[in-house]
Amino acid sequence: MNITLSVNGTEHAIECAPSETLFTVIRRLGFYGVKFGDEQGWTGADTVLLDGKPVNAGSMLAAQAEGHNIVTIEALGEHPDQGWKKTEGLHPLQRAFVESGAIQCGYCTPAQILAAKTLLDKNPNPSEDEVREAISGVLCRCTGYLKPVQAVLRAAAILRGDEPVSWDAVNWDFGKPPEVGPEANESPSDQFASLLTKPKVVVTPQTQAWQVVGKPEKKVDAVKLVQGKPAFAADIEKRGMLVAKVLHSPHAHARIKSIDTSKAKALPGVAAVLTWQDLPRVVWSTAGQSDPIPGPLDTFSLDNKVRFVGDRVAFVAAETAEIAEKALTLIEVEYEPLPAILDSADAMKPDAIRIHDEPEYVNFADSDPARNVAAKIRIDIGNPDKGFAEADHIFEGEYSVPKVQQVSIEPHVCVTYWDEDDRLVIRTSTQVPFHVRRMLAPVLNLPVKRIRVIKPRIGGGFGGKQEVLMEDVAAHLTIATKRPVIYEYTREEEFIAARSRHPMKIWMKTGVKKDGTITANEMRVLSDTGAYGCHALTVTGNTGHKAMALYVGDGEYRKQPNIRFYADVVYTNTPPAGAFRGYGVPQGYWPVERHMEKIARALNLDPIEFRLKNAIHPGEYHPFSTAWNEGREPRPEIIHTVGLEQCVAQGKAAIGWDSKYGNEEWHRNVPSTKFQVTSEKHGTWNMEHGTPSSAKRKGIGVALVMQGTAIPYLDMGGASVKMNDDGSFNLLVGATDLGTGSDTVIAQMVAEVLGVPLEDIITYSSDTDFTPFDKGAYASSTTYISGAAAVRAAEMAAERIKVRAAKMLGEVEYSNIRLSNRQAIAPSGKSVSLAEIALDTLHKNEQEQIMGIGSYVSPSSPPPFAAQFAEVSVDVETGAVTVDKLVMAVDSGVIVNPLTASGQIEGGMTQALGYAVCEEMRYDDKGNAIERDLDRYHIFRADEMPELETIFVETFEPSHPFGVKAVAEIPMDGVAPAVGNAVLDAVGVNIDDNPITPEKIWRALKGK
Amino acid sequence: MITAYHRPQTLDEALTLLARPNTFPLGGGTLLSHPSADSVQVVDLQALGLNQIKKSGNSLEIGATVTLQQLLESELCPDALKRAIKLEAPLNIRNAATVAGTIVACDGRSTFVCGLLALDAKLAIANRKSEIVNLGDYLPLRPRGLITSITIPMNVKSAFEYVARTPADKPIVCVALAQWPSGRTRLAVGGYGKAPMLAMDGDVDPSPGGRGIQGEGVEAAARNAFHEAKDEWASAEYRQDVAATLAKRCLDNLKA
Repeated sequence: MNITLSVNGTEHAIECAPSETLFTVIRRLGFYGVKFGDEQGWTGADTVLLDGKPVNAGSMLAAQAEGHNIVTIEALGEHPDQGWKKTEGLHPLQRAFVESGAIQCGYCTPAQILAAKTLLDKNPNPSEDEVREAISGVLCRCTGYLKPVQAVLRAAAILRGDEPVSWDAVNWDFGKPPEVGPEANESPSDQFASLLTKPKVVVTPQTQAWQVVGKPEKKVDAVKLVQGKPAFAADIEKRGMLVAKVLHSPHAHARIKSIDTSKAKALPGVAAVLTWQDLPRVVWSTAGQSDPIPGPLDTFSLDNKVRFVGDRVAFVAAETAEIAEKALTLIEVEYEPLPAILDSADAMKPDAIRIHDEPEYVNFADSDPARNVAAKIRIDIGNPDKGFAEADHIFEGEYSVPKVQQVSIEPHVCVTYWDEDDRLVIRTSTQVPFHVRRMLAPVLNLPVKRIRVIKPRIGGGFGGKQEVLMEDVAAHLTIATKRPVIYEYTREEEFIAARSRHPMKIWMKTGVKKDGTITANEMRVLSDTGAYGCHALTVTGNTGHKAMALYVGDGEYRKQPNIRFYADVVYTNTPPAGAFRGYGVPQGYWPVERHMEKIARALNLDPIEFRLKNAIHPGEYHPFSTAWNEGREPRPEIIHTVGLEQCVAQGKAAIGWDSKYGNEEWHRNVPSTKFQVTSEKHGTWNMEHGTPSSAKRKGIGVALVMQGTAIPYLDMGGASVKMNDDGSFNLLVGATDLGTGSDTVIAQMVAEVLGVPLEDIITYSSDTDFTPFDKGAYASSTTYISGAAAVRAAEMAAERIKVRAAKMLGEVEYSNIRLSNRQAIAPSGKSVSLAEIALDTLHKNEQEQIMGIGSYVSPSSPPPFAAQFAEVSVDVETGAVTVDKLVMAVDSGVIVNPLTASGQIEGGMTQALGYAVCEEMRYDDKGNAIERDLDRYHIFRADEMPELETIFVETFEPSHPFGVKAVAEIPMDGVAPAVGNAVLDAVGVNIDDNPITPEKIWRALKGK
Repeated sequence: MITAYHRPQTLDEALTLLARPNTFPLGGGTLLSHPSADSVQVVDLQALGLNQIKKSGNSLEIGATVTLQQLLESELCPDALKRAIKLEAPLNIRNAATVAGTIVACDGRSTFVCGLLALDAKLAIANRKSEIVNLGDYLPLRPRGLITSITIPMNVKSAFEYVARTPADKPIVCVALAQWPSGRTRLAVGGYGKAPMLAMDGDVDPSPGGRGIQGEGVEAAARNAFHEAKDEWASAEYRQDVAATLAKRCLDNLKA
C-alpha cells in the first residue's frame, strides 16, 4: 500500500505492506534514532512523538501514522560545528543529558529525550515526580534514572532562562569527617540539591593535582548517542542483506529423529535453511573467555539433540523477517522426547538421565557429564573443622537465589558479510570481540586472520554479551548464501535462548565465639548451569572466591582463616546460565549477608561492629588467592587497600543509621504511601494510598561486600596512542565500552599523561583489525587493566614528545620536561606547544611518527569494597515491601570520572533492586519459560524508584598508576541482602529465598 | 499477518468492513500490530470521532477510541479509576492504547477493567443492531461487534487498592469498590485469571454504624472470589486473605 508520512516536518511517500509497523518504515527512511527494544512496547526504546505525544513506533502500524506529525530525535539538535557550516547545536535537553552524565549505553537516550520534550513543551517548570512520570514509558537498564531526571530538570531550567544555572555534578569532600544523622546530606549547594542527590566523592590527597583524571568529564561518545546517530550493530544498511531466524526447540529434552526442510526452502524469498546435517560438527563453548576456556566444551552450532525449550533446531535466512518466520513454520521436525531434568536437585540422582552424552564432549577440570556435573569445586582454606570445633556457637542456614536476566535494552544483534578480500566481517554487539574472532574460527572452519570483528556501540550487556551467543548463526548463513545477514534476537528469544544468572541453592555454616569472632565459615552450593556449561566453573567459583573472602575472622583466626567452599555445578534442561554483572558474587552475598545479620542478632551484637570485627584488613592475603584461580594455578595476593570502615561511616551518616536502627518510634512512623497522578490540566497531585499507617513498619538494613578487579595473571589489555599534526591523539583500545564509559575514563588517563584536555583524545574501540588485543569487558577489569595499558602507551608517546621538545627548546635533559595545557614545559619555563612538536616531527626535522603502545596484565586483583544500606516499608497485612532508599558507600580506589562511576553505582543498585524484589525466571513442568516478555518480567521504571545515594570513599591502590580499582560489578552485590535485612528489621521475619515477594513476607508473618 | 488496512470515515462504512471474515477493529494497535500467523484485515477506527469524553447527567460516556492516557488526564475521570489506569500500562502504551481495545484484550491483571467492572460500566456495541451490554456480561465471551463507547456512573464513590511486587508492577491482587448513594455496592477483584471478577453487587448501608452486611460482607465477598485463584504469581490462600484486607481498606477509604 502507498502512504504518506510526515516525519520531522517532511512528507515522505512510502510503499509499505499493511502489516509493517511504523518502526520498520521509519528506520527504512534512515531515522536510526528509533531503536528496537521489544515487540510489546514495554521498553519504549522505539519512542517517537506522534502529534507531540510519546508512543511506541513498534506497536503501531505505519498506516496508522498517516495524517499525523511524527517527530524523531533527528529533529532536535545536531553538532554545532560542521566545518564551514554552523548549526544551532544540540537541543538544551540533549546538552543537559550530555553534561549531566545521563547517557550510559545511549540506546534508550533518544527515547528518554523525546518523552521529556513532550513534558517540557507543556510544562516548563516540572517537579521531579512529573519528570519521572514523563519518562516512565522508557525503560533504562544502565542509569537507575537519577541522572536522566537531573538532566531534564536542568534542561527545564535552561529553557526557562533561569541563568545562571549553577551546577556542580559532584559533592566533593576533601577530608571533612562525615556528619552523623539524617540531616547530614541536606547541604544544598545548588538549585537541584533539594530534589536530587549528587554523588559524593571523598577525595584521596594524591589525586588533587590532576587536571583530567578525577574530573566529571563528558563522555566521549555522548554527542553522537544523544543525536541517535547510527552507532549500534543494527544501524547499518547492506545491499541484499538477509534476515536470519532460528527455529527453537519446543521440548526440554529430545533427540531430533528427522528434519524435512523442503517446504521451507521452497518458500519464495527463502535463501537458506540449515540444520545440524549441513554444518561441520565442531564442539565448543560459547563462554567468551581467554584461551583455554576454563570450562567443558559441550556445545555445537546445531546438534541432533535439543537440551532445553528454546535450544536451536534450524537456521533460516530470508529476504524479510516475515518470510523467515513463515519458513520456520514450514520446517517439519520429528522429535523423540526424552525425560527432562528441571530441578537442579534432581541432576545428580543415580537414575537421572544424562543430558550430555555426545562423544565429542571435552571435560575441563572435574566436569563429569555422566553425572550431569559441569563443574565441581572443593576448597578448604585453613582447617574449617578445627575452627568449628573451637566455636561457641554454630549457625546454619539454607538460602536460594533465582535465575534472572540481564535485560540489556538492545538485544543481541549481529551483522555478517564477506568483504572484498573474502574475509568474514562480523559486526556484533559483544563485550568480547577478540574472543568472538578466536572462538568462531574453528566453528566456521576459517583461520582467525580471515575474520574481522567490529564492535560498534553496545546497548548494554551486563555480562549477557560476554558470550558468543548468536554470531555463529549469521556467519553460517552468510557462508551458505554469500550474502550479508542480520540476526537480531526478539525479546522472547532473550528470555528463552540467551544467558542468565545462575540460580543457586546455598547452605551456610558459621562458627562464632561468644565475643563475635568467626572461627570458621562454610558455604556449600548447588549451582544450575542449565543445558550448557558456559561459565559454569568460573561463575560459581567466584561465588565463594569473593563472598566467602570478606569475613576472615579476628585475632588468631585472622592470621589463618578457616574457610570451606564446596560447589557442584549441574546441568539441567533449562536455558543455560552464563555471565551476568557480578559473576556469581551476588549469589554469594545473599546468603552470607543474610547469615551474618542473623548471627549478629542471635548473639545480640551490633550487626555492623560484628561484620567489621571479622572483615579482612589491608595487608592481609586474599584468603582464596592461596587456594583457587579459576581452574588455574593459585598465586597468593595481598590486599593493599580496604576502605570498608570509611564506607560504613559515610553510609551510616547518609542514611541516618544511628537515629533509626533500634529506634522503635522511627520503625512505627510510616506515613501513608502517596500515589501520584499527572494531569495535563491539573499538574501532579497526590492521592492517599489506602494503606493505613498502622499496617506499615519501617526497617533499615546493611550489607558489606567486596568484589574483584580483573583476573590476575590472565586478563590482558592493549592500547596504542598516535600523535596527529595538530597535537591531538588517536587512542585505539581493544577494550569494549558497553555503555559503562570505559572509553572516556581510559581517554582521561591518557589525556592526563599527555597534558591535553580530553577533547584532544580521539578514542576508538574496538575492531580486531585495527585495535590492539583486549580480552574484553568483564570481571570489572577495563579501567584497571585496559586503563593501565593505555597509560603505558601514553607514557611511551609522552617520552618521545619530551625528547623532541627538549631538542626544540635547546634543553639537554628531556626527563624534566612536563606536559600540561597542550604544552611541553621546561623547568626554565620555556615551552613549546604539542601542535608545534607534531608539525616538527611529522614534516620538518628528523621526521618520525610519535606513537606509543602498551599492554598490561596484573599480578593482582585488588578488591573494591562497599557498605550497602537499605530502608524499607513493609505492609504487615499484605506483605508488600517498598524500598524507600538505597545508599551505597564504595571504595573503588581513585575515581577517574565521578559522573560515569556514580552512574555505574546507581544503575547497578537499580538492577540489584530488581534482583531483591521482583526479577525471577521460572519454568513450568515441561520446561517452558513463564517469563517471556517485560510485562511478566518486570524491571524498575523511572516512576517507582527509591531514592538513590552514592558515596565514593577513595583509596589509592598502589598497583595501578592512577590508583584505581573496579566499580562496575560491586553495586550488584549488597542490595538484596540489605533489603532482606531491612525487612527483618521492620517486621522480624527472615526471607531466605530471593526475591523478597509479598506472599513470602505474608507467609512468614503468618507463620505459614 | 495483516493483509489489508482500512481507515473508514463513517461508522456504517466501518461496520460494513467489519462484517467481512477475519476482519477486526483496530484501536491503538498496541496488540494487533504485533506479528501473527493468521491472515487478518484491520479496520482503523481513528477517523470515526469516537475519541470524546462526554458527561451526560450522572453518567460519563467514554468514546471507544479514547486513549487510556486521555481518560487519565480527564478531570471527569474518577480518581480511583485514574489510579487503576496508571497501573494498566506505561505512559507510551497509555498514549496509544484505547479504552475499548484494552477491554477486548484484557486478562485478569487488568486494573483498568477491574475498576470499570466495579463501576458497572456499560458498553455500547454496534452490530447489525446496536445494543447496550454490561461489562460483566461482556467479559466472559467477548462477542464480536464494535464497541463504540463505555458509560460509567458519576454519582458513585469508588476506591481502588492493589498489591504488587513493586509500585508499578502488575497486581497480584487488586480490588475496586464502588458505592452508589442508594447503598448499592459493587466489588471487583483482579490480578488473576482471564478477566477481573465481580465479587459482590448488593446493598450496603453506607451510613456510619448502619445496618446491613457492611465491612464483613465485603471482605467475605472478596475472599470468596479468590477461592481457587492459584497461579504462578500467588496462592489462592494469599489472594483470599489480601483481597479481604484490600476490600476493607477500600471501604474505609469510602467512609473517610
